[in-house]
Amino acid sequence: MTDETASPAPGYQYADAAQASEVSTLGMWTFLATEVLFFGALVAGYFSYRIWYSDEWIAAAAHTKVILGTANTAVLLTSSGCMAMAVWSQDAKAKRATSLWLAATAILGLLFIAIKSYEYFLEWKEHLVPALDFDPSRYGGVTELFFTWYFCATGLHALHLLIGIGFVVFAAIGIARDRLPAGMSVRILGLYWHFVDIVWIFLFPLIYLTGRNG
Amino acid sequence: MVLKVWIGLCLLLTLTTAVAFVPLGSANLPIAIAIAIAKALLVLWFFMELKGSAGLVRAFAAAGFLWLLILLALTWADYSQRSDVRVPVTTISPRTP
Repeated sequence: MTDETASPAPGYQYADAAQASEVSTLGMWTFLATEVLFFGALVAGYFSYRIWYSDEWIAAAAHTKVILGTANTAVLLTSSGCMAMAVWSQDAKAKRATSLWLAATAILGLLFIAIKSYEYFLEWKEHLVPALDFDPSRYGGVTELFFTWYFCATGLHALHLLIGIGFVVFAAIGIARDRLPAGMSVRILGLYWHFVDIVWIFLFPLIYLTGRNG
Repeated sequence: MVLKVWIGLCLLLTLTTAVAFVPLGSANLPIAIAIAIAKALLVLWFFMELKGSAGLVRAFAAAGFLWLLILLALTWADYSQRSDVRVPVTTISPRTP
């Protein structure tokens, strides 16, 4: 797990660069463990509501846009592939390729945000936004509950993605200019990016693939 | 390697979306969750490099999911016993004119 972007002289608390890399890897996984529980609470809430309200909850989920959701999943999975290629290019010491794969990752991340925004816009037009513009004469209370959960879950996921895009752009520019800040690692950034992808892998069937038959 | 994993992920995405439109009753959800777990394991094992990681890193990675299982198990243990408690289904949003 050596990382050649780490500065040649690691901080004085480390024995060598390899140990510094291992410590930062463990640090990111520790952070991701807290993130698993953060999004896990949302998933637990989803299942509680789904068990309570069963058919009404499933019918509410059918108001989401399955084509846009599926397209977005493909976009995010592809962005993870680009991120994996960035790490691979870095190991091959191909700086330009690393920078370009990171740029592709960021562009796909922005495409995801754009499609998600369009979905939010469609839901706004259909008066499906609780508290701001929700039409109780057309939809029931369970639909309102579902969309409250939906905007919390997808909004928090989108926020995580925006933070990731910011760091990826920063790293892409840093590598292109040969000035990646000490302590910043494409490999560690990749761990975060893939995790945000995993969150979506689970949100996708819960939100979009529910209530599509029968 | 990256290309193969990406193709695998896309195939699983196609499969889970197609199955969702087939009426299988209560089996739809477990199938969707199983496919999601398969996709997540592909990402964890190959993209997040748990394949070549030290045991300590794998233990840290597993810890979060182990605690998640405890969270889900205890939540279900509680709510599955509360059949008579149901939040009244009313809307809280103001009525639009």
